[in-house]
Amino acid sequence: MPTPALTPSAFGYAPFQKRQIWYAITITLTAAIGPFLLWPALAGRILAVNFLPHIYCYLGKPALVWTHVTADLLTGLAYVFISGTLACLVYMGHPDIPFHWMFLAFGLFIVACGCTHLMEVVTIWIPVYVLSGVVKVVTALASVTTAVLLPTTVPKALTLLRAVKSAEQITENKIESLNKEMARRNTELVAANKELDSFCYSVSHDLRTPLRSIDGFSLALLEDCQDRLNPEEKAHLHQVRAATKQMAQLIDDMLALSRSTRREIRLQEVNLSQMAREIAAQLQGSAPERQATFTIAPGLMAEGDPNLLRIVLENLLGNAWKFTSRVPQSSIEFGTIRQNGQPAYFVRDNGSGFEMEYVHRLFGAFQRLHDVRDFPGTGVGLATVQRVVHRHGGQVWAEGAVGKGATFYFLLRPQSNGHSVEGGQGWKHAKGSFF
Amino acid sequence: METREGVILLVEDNPGDEALTLRALKRNDIKNEVVIARNGPEALDYLFGSGIHEGRDLPVLPEIILLDLKLPKLDGLEVLYRLRGEERTRLLPVVIFTSSNEEHDQANGYALGANSYVRKPIDFEQFSEVVRQIALYWLVLNEPAPARTRTWGSSDPAAIGELFKTQEQ
Repeated sequence: MPTPALTPSAFGYAPFQKRQIWYAITITLTAAIGPFLLWPALAGRILAVNFLPHIYCYLGKPALVWTHVTADLLTGLAYVFISGTLACLVYMGHPDIPFHWMFLAFGLFIVACGCTHLMEVVTIWIPVYVLSGVVKVVTALASVTTAVLLPTTVPKALTLLRAVKSAEQITENKIESLNKEMARRNTELVAANKELDSFCYSVSHDLRTPLRSIDGFSLALLEDCQDRLNPEEKAHLHQVRAATKQMAQLIDDMLALSRSTRREIRLQEVNLSQMAREIAAQLQGSAPERQATFTIAPGLMAEGDPNLLRIVLENLLGNAWKFTSRVPQSSIEFGTIRQNGQPAYFVRDNGSGFEMEYVHRLFGAFQRLHDVRDFPGTGVGLATVQRVVHRHGGQVWAEGAVGKGATFYFLLRPQSNGHSVEGGQGWKHAKGSFF
Repeated sequence: METREGVILLVEDNPGDEALTLRALKRNDIKNEVVIARNGPEALDYLFGSGIHEGRDLPVLPEIILLDLKLPKLDGLEVLYRLRGEERTRLLPVVIFTSSNEEHDQANGYALGANSYVRKPIDFEQFSEVVRQIALYWLVLNEPAPARTRTWGSSDPAAIGELFKTQEQ
């Protein structure tokens, strides 16, 4: 059985990064276009290269002016872009990011640096040296603050890094040990299944063999000593034979139950209506004289293991057949109801029913609610049904009243999302623990 | 029911089942000689004239082998495997007659070349009927492979295949 291994999964940050880039681009564009929108005359003044008030600062060479302007402009915009990105990172990942104030300080420092570069460009045309000075002072303050604060975070950051690393290590170790544990459990399970297989083999072979002798030699006595046995002695031998038969049936049912647990489930589309019709025909054929009506809803499909689902239907329809044997007109219905948006199949009969008080015992192995003299059986059928339905991830429950018939419902694994529906809906019934 | 003459080899370790099989044969008036092997090696000894059957009249092979699966020393499937590996017993009719109805026993039995797989019923009347039907089929209805093929003729499927090829040409 392949075991899905746990791997340290990457947490989904991809959409986060995409959004972050868009924010940064928006900020940068705003910084670049904003001044022109606020002050449309700026463009005209910039283009008036020949009227540069400070052309002499650049040796009167327009090419040199443009080199400086382009470089300063690009640097400034890049700084704004970088700080925009950092701001987004801090803003969006803020609960997970340690030292986010440091990022902010660093971002501010970069913005300030960017502004000094942009001011360099502005002052070529407009002599706002006071503003330029203020920007430089702010930059200096931000830089110095960042420079002073940054070293204090180094030990903390290192500790944090180590912690992250050891946490990762711990997670990896944990996953590894979980994987090992799972592999071990799996091996155990395989071994247990093997043991169960050989146990069942033993049961099927070794428990039956003595029964054959008990029955065979009882009959031999009946045949060979016919004249010497009185009627009571003969009756005893008949009882021995009847008990043998009962025991043989028990062994077979027990094996069927254990097989329903062991057999690998192969899911496919199953036509339950078709299956129910076949079983109904068999039942009717077994006692053609019985007056019975089977009402089978057409076209009921289910996803499941056909062999196992046949066991379910055989048991439920067989029970309905058995427990309606004393009513003059048996009426057995197979259909479906909606239960939380899923089809729940049901088998309903008008037979002897049962007391709801004991409903919890219905699905336990070897549990019976009827006298074996009234209705024969071993009490394994419904346990097998429950086992099969549980193995499909579904549930089984029943309703009934004495003399008014019984309805058995089963719900198979929901086909839409493949999740198990075990538990949670309050239909917990007897858990027949067996094997 | 007039059955062909010939030996029934009953490979059975359980004394109860042995007695019941014999009783069922008697009850159905089947008078063939029954040779009993109580474990795997005894069955092979009988078939190959070794061990306790050293020196027996070898060309006499049983008409049918009733083979139990769970046997001491060598189990039924292994006995089957070994006798299918020998030229003289390759085509001998073998009916697996067992309590087991495990799928893998049936699958392995057929894979190893069993001719039939019958589960022993617990009810003796049914058991007796099953024994009668097995005897009826294998000792009356079924025509065995000619002795020539069984003992010294060619029973190699590849050789038979060659024969078909020549005919096609």
